[in-house]
Amino acid sequence: MNQQLNLLIGLTMGFNLLALGSHRLPGLIRVVAWQGVVLGLMPLVMEHAIDWRVALLASGTVAGKGFLIPTLLRKAMRAASIDRELHPLVGFVPSLLLGAGGTLGAVALSRALPLLPEHASSLLVPGAIASVFTGFVLLIGRSTAISQVCGYLILENGIYLFGLLLIRATPLLVEAGVLLDLTVGVFVIGIIVDRIQRAFDSLDTRKLTVLRE
Amino acid sequence: MKPALILIVQLAVWLLLAPLLPGLINRVKAWVAGRRGPPVLQLYFDLARLWRKRVIISELASPGFIAGPAVTWVALLGAALLLPLGPLETGWGFRGDALLMLALLALARFASAWAALETGSAFEGMGVVREVSYAVLSEVSLMAAFLTLSVQSGSLSLQTMLAPAAGPGAALLAGGLFIVLLAENCRVPFDDPDTHLELTMIHEVMVLDHSGPPLAVILHGASLKLLLFALLLVQAVLPLGNWTAGTAAGALAAGVLIVVITVGLVESLLARLSFRRVPLLLTTAVLLCVFALLMAWKGGAA
Amino acid sequence: MTGPFLLLSGTALLGAVIAGGRAPRLWLGLNTFAAIAILAAAGPILGGGAAWAWCAPWTLGGETPRFQLDAISAFFLVLLAVVGGAGALYSRDYWSDREHPESVVRGRIGWSGLLLAMEGLLIAGNGLQFLICWELFALCGFFLIVLENRRLAVRRAGWLYLAASHTGTLALFAFFTLLSARTGGWEIGPMRDDPSLAPLLWLAFLGFGLKAGLFPLHVWLPSAHGNAPSHVSAILSGVAIKMGIYGLVRFTGWLPAPPGAGWVLLALGVGSALFGIAFALAQSDVKRLLAYCSVENIGIICTGLGAALLARNADDAPWGRLVLAGALFHVWNHGAFKALLFFAAGSVLHATGTREISRLGGLWSRLPWTAGAFAIGALAVSGLPPLNGFASEWLVYLGLFDAATTHGPSSSAALPAVMLLALAGALALATFAKAGGLIFLGAPRTQAARRAHEGGAWMRGPMIGLAGLCVIAGLLPGLLWPVLARVVAAWHPGWAGAAGPAPFSALGPRPLMLGLVLAGAAWLLTRTVRAGGSHRALTWDCGYAKPAARMQYTAGSFGALATRWFRWLLRPERTLRRPRGLFPSGARDLERTPETVLERGLDPLAKVLLRGVTIVRRLQHGGLQAYLLYVLAGVGLVAAVVFLGGKS
Repeated sequence: MNQQLNLLIGLTMGFNLLALGSHRLPGLIRVVAWQGVVLGLMPLVMEHAIDWRVALLASGTVAGKGFLIPTLLRKAMRAASIDRELHPLVGFVPSLLLGAGGTLGAVALSRALPLLPEHASSLLVPGAIASVFTGFVLLIGRSTAISQVCGYLILENGIYLFGLLLIRATPLLVEAGVLLDLTVGVFVIGIIVDRIQRAFDSLDTRKLTVLRE
Repeated sequence: MKPALILIVQLAVWLLLAPLLPGLINRVKAWVAGRRGPPVLQLYFDLARLWRKRVIISELASPGFIAGPAVTWVALLGAALLLPLGPLETGWGFRGDALLMLALLALARFASAWAALETGSAFEGMGVVREVSYAVLSEVSLMAAFLTLSVQSGSLSLQTMLAPAAGPGAALLAGGLFIVLLAENCRVPFDDPDTHLELTMIHEVMVLDHSGPPLAVILHGASLKLLLFALLLVQAVLPLGNWTAGTAAGALAAGVLIVVITVGLVESLLARLSFRRVPLLLTTAVLLCVFALLMAWKGGAA
Repeated sequence: MTGPFLLLSGTALLGAVIAGGRAPRLWLGLNTFAAIAILAAAGPILGGGAAWAWCAPWTLGGETPRFQLDAISAFFLVLLAVVGGAGALYSRDYWSDREHPESVVRGRIGWSGLLLAMEGLLIAGNGLQFLICWELFALCGFFLIVLENRRLAVRRAGWLYLAASHTGTLALFAFFTLLSARTGGWEIGPMRDDPSLAPLLWLAFLGFGLKAGLFPLHVWLPSAHGNAPSHVSAILSGVAIKMGIYGLVRFTGWLPAPPGAGWVLLALGVGSALFGIAFALAQSDVKRLLAYCSVENIGIICTGLGAALLARNADDAPWGRLVLAGALFHVWNHGAFKALLFFAAGSVLHATGTREISRLGGLWSRLPWTAGAFAIGALAVSGLPPLNGFASEWLVYLGLFDAATTHGPSSSAALPAVMLLALAGALALATFAKAGGLIFLGAPRTQAARRAHEGGAWMRGPMIGLAGLCVIAGLLPGLLWPVLARVVAAWHPGWAGAAGPAPFSALGPRPLMLGLVLAGAAWLLTRTVRAGGSHRALTWDCGYAKPAARMQYTAGSFGALATRWFRWLLRPERTLRRPRGLFPSGARDLERTPETVLERGLDPLAKVLLRGVTIVRRLQHGGLQAYLLYVLAGVGLVAAVVFLGGKS
């Protein structure tokens, strides 16, 4: 069980680096979708007894993170009819190096934390910290609104991973909460992206500085 | 003595004797200048003449133009009735009447200022400005003087405040009250009662446009005020309460006469002060009264 | 019966808030009904009934609401009811639906909200309730001040009011939280035995003093009361700043006083009185003049309160009763005559469209009722008998004189206080001779003044009512002495027993007789003049052939003589362009008195602060990505702190 979990988490970390390196928007959205599918499968791996609640949640997560949300993002991308090339503020190579460094740092950090023995051996905590950091790097380093939404999604995935630590204590509550949070967030961001497009005729978030008082 | 009799005597003194004082002052001034001067009873004749005359009211004036002099006169008479006449106890005294007296003097000033502004003339405005501004300082002096008397005697009723012996600051108090008398009654060096040069008038210009009975009322009120301040000065300084009734009455009359003669001499010998110096002189009056107060305070605390 | 009446008035005001939007007549009726209900609730308590208190059986947010009504609260409630009711009636014509359609709804809602919040404040028995009602009342005041929000001056006045109000509320937050921390609960009541509470009173002084408008803290008052609509100025000057006084009276009564509190309050009071009236004399805008005059009267009230505090703490002397009774009586009197003066000024503004004294003149013939009302108000505010201003100032002076003659430890304070109050009183007389004389007498200086006409009955009625109150309170002050004695006893139970006869009984029937004789003499003289035959003509005027209206004294020139003595305080700005040459084209001599504490004190300080803050402001450039970087850096910093802190 632990092996399979570690494999999935390793896959997630790989997707993080892929996201940091992708230079086209559709590619980025696809990476985020795959990451979402992988994360959706994780509760099935962690639970010994797979009852209907877990199955429902896993399928919901896969559907939402893997299909629904990326579809919304693609729709917004097409509606805004923007340039599909990403123009980063922090270059691709530096972002990759930051991401890699962040992952290594996350592993080192999690060894310093006082974790339960069953969690100490798994990659959950490093994976979570690395995803959060990657999400931040994407948010800070990319200028198009949709790419920032993707960064936000990766951040949420990191938090979701943290939540999996508590799967024994509050089994499904955490996942359900995170999923709801995410959905609401993406809906709101969808609306805001539309507004930004209408107001500025572009999704470059650097234009938002004119709103400064 | 019966209250009705007291009231009659008071009214007789105030209403009948007050117009004598301006005449006496004019006689003193005439004597210093080597002239014969007008008769001592001149003001009585003037009042009678004015009472018979017709009144001309400015087109801009409101009913307050006639009501103002009436209010002034009543306020001054009220203040006068509160003042004890030496051995004669006033029937109107009560605890705190000194403050009512000051307030009545202020009411008289306000009403005469209101009546003066009625005609819309620049000169009356000038007179009102000077009058109400200098009154600020003279009111502080009077309040300080009353405070001194109150601290000395331990009470706030004019009857008891003025009766006992004057304290060590009597001379200072006399000086301060005399300067306030000159200021409030528009005598040289503050204001020349005979002038009609607009640059030099304070009180004269405020009554410029009155005529007939209202003017008579104003002139009588002015003489009331002069007698009031003279009596206040004399009673504040002399320990009349320690003497018998007859001696006290005589001392009172003599004191008023001395004050009147001094005013006449001051008017003859001094020139009008430049307006820039007037606050200085009034501040001197304030300081004199304040020093008298401090001496009384120290004396009482010791 | 107190509880039900209070509840009735509260619901009526709430209904008025809701009805303010759509039904003006219903709003007016509900407001008047609420005012009457408040009077019915407060009256019996002032008349000798027992204090009322009620604890709610339910809790709201963890605290039980507590209401209490004793003599002090009832005293201020009466003031609130009278001025609040009169102002509502006045606003029907003054701020009518026809003339101000965009702001009249806000005005009505704000008015009832203000009354409701102040009522809640006065009956609050719990610190949290007090604070909530305080904040609501400040906000309603703000919304009422900025009714004419299209004008920049009005908006600025509103911002200044809000800033000052919230500074005071901050101090009060600190005060109440510290109080509840030290006493263990939010209930407020008599707490004289606990000496550790004494230093908190300084915070209360700051908070309540800001609201009341004591001298250095008054910077918001002139612009707020000057720029607000006149009925709003009336309730702000008449009642709202008295809420600050209420707080001071309340908490000096309930808490032990720190050493020096009485001296400080006395000094601030005397300073406010003197400096306030000096500023008032220099103004040429009639509403700003009235606002500064409010500062002066608050100074007189605080002088009385400070002296009473001294009396209570130093030697428990009986003269403290007199000064406190005088101060409280002045609260009522000032509320009445200041509201009257603001209503009259509002009537002038409504009729002529200008507040500048130097553009008015000769209005007595066109606005006779307003002129009469202003004259009575001017007599009252100058402290002239037989009106109510004299009665309350007389009590204060009486108490201070008693203090001076008893030679106690605190009586050396009375000597300068008496003299400076006399100075302030004489300046007040000069100020109102200026205001009343220049506005209503003489010749009209501009076209606007020539075309004025009197307002309707809804504007005249409240003015006449308030003038009547001033006259009655002045002629028969003895009727009010038992009420004052009861309030004083509520403040300091040690003074409850009657120590000597009531001072007003010494004054006796004299004010009444004086009033009658004054009226009689005026009537007699007028009759004599008419019988003798008078006629109207151009008078002597020192021989001027063609006097022009502009030759009359202006507001600035009237005050110039006395304000020159206060130039160090007022610091006027003068623009002078002399006429040059033989046929000069133009000349200009303008003098403007700034709000000195604000413009020469606080503004430079604020500029220095802003300069420092602008440097930090460069961090806020609007870049989204950089902000996210700040978030990450912050989180990282916190994590580092946690780790390092946890390790060691």
